[in-house]
Amino acid sequence: MPDAAMTASDTPAPGTRLARIWDAPIRLFHWLLLPLIAFSWWSGERHEMEWHRLSGYGILALLVFRIYWGFFGGRTARFAQFLRGPGAALAYLRSQASGRHEPAPGHNPIGGWSVILMLATLVAMVLAGLFAVDVDGLESGPLADYVSFDQGRLASDIHGIIFNLLLALIVLHVAAIFFYTVRLRQNLVGPMIHGRRRTGEQVADVTTSPWRALIGIAIAGACAYAVARGFRL
Amino acid sequence: MTLSRTTRFLLIAAPAALMVAGTLAAAPAAAPSPQAAIAARQAGYKKMGAAMKAINDQLKTDAPAKAVMAPAAQTLAVTAREQPKLFPAGSGPTAGVKTDALPNIWTDRKTFDAQMAKLIAESGKLVAVMNGGNIDAIRVQAKATGGTCAACHRQFRQDT
Repeated sequence: MPDAAMTASDTPAPGTRLARIWDAPIRLFHWLLLPLIAFSWWSGERHEMEWHRLSGYGILALLVFRIYWGFFGGRTARFAQFLRGPGAALAYLRSQASGRHEPAPGHNPIGGWSVILMLATLVAMVLAGLFAVDVDGLESGPLADYVSFDQGRLASDIHGIIFNLLLALIVLHVAAIFFYTVRLRQNLVGPMIHGRRRTGEQVADVTTSPWRALIGIAIAGACAYAVARGFRL
Repeated sequence: MTLSRTTRFLLIAAPAALMVAGTLAAAPAAAPSPQAAIAARQAGYKKMGAAMKAINDQLKTDAPAKAVMAPAAQTLAVTAREQPKLFPAGSGPTAGVKTDALPNIWTDRKTFDAQMAKLIAESGKLVAVMNGGNIDAIRVQAKATGGTCAACHRQFRQDT
């Protein structure tokens, strides 16, 4: 039953309801990642390397959790659910171009690839940072003592180059959200905050197990701690 | 007016000899070409960076190895003394090869030389505390030495 709270951006249709499409861990992951990336940039620019390392460990823990959650998380968080072939991606683009926009109950085929690209870029970014050495040989990532000075300098250069790629992906990400809001009249930000969106009756709520989330948090924390210590446990 | 053969020889040979002598005398004292100086100082700084990393890698561990740190400190101190000679005029951004050296090295040479002197002093002290062997003292002095690198780089090196 449509109600008064329904807005035009929700593409109302008879028999729609609010369904949970993003579980809490995936939303927390997203909204923790944003300030940590911003803080990492700021601390890196300011050469506040103690803070920069801590921020990086935070991102590392988030990434480990996200990869774990891609296998054990809620339906829409799972890689198997949103990783689609190029055929599906093209079909989705074609349906967009023809004006038949159908909101996906989770990541759409293009969004799924965007997620993978952003995750892969962040993983590469963190990996390079772990081995990076500054020009003075003073500051370094926690695993830099496993590589030579020159290799560490190369890692630092790669770390910087990947950051530009990451910035480009973030710009694309925000531009896509803007496009969905303005052109397709679909609000993507709200559901990422509260987790729910108006969907057809057939879309079931995303459910998760708190135990699985806790196990993931424990694994992520342990990984970040071990790396931060340079595996000298 | 006729000149004797000897006079004619002297008139031609003397300036030539003076020129050759002048070149020979100047050669050992002449600064290296800007490009050669840039290559040499960059190699020197890389050596120092590697030495600094070797020391800091050890200081990160629970049992820093003096056998690794002492030669690295020696490298730092020896290389530091060579570096100030490798900034001849024209070896800045105008040299035509890639360098992060900022032009104010040559416009504010006094400050630059003072920073170099600090590096030489602190790296010399680092060698001394290495011989003393107290790990905490080494840690403090490694930080002080690294501080001179960072301070000078903030002023005179392009941040890339």
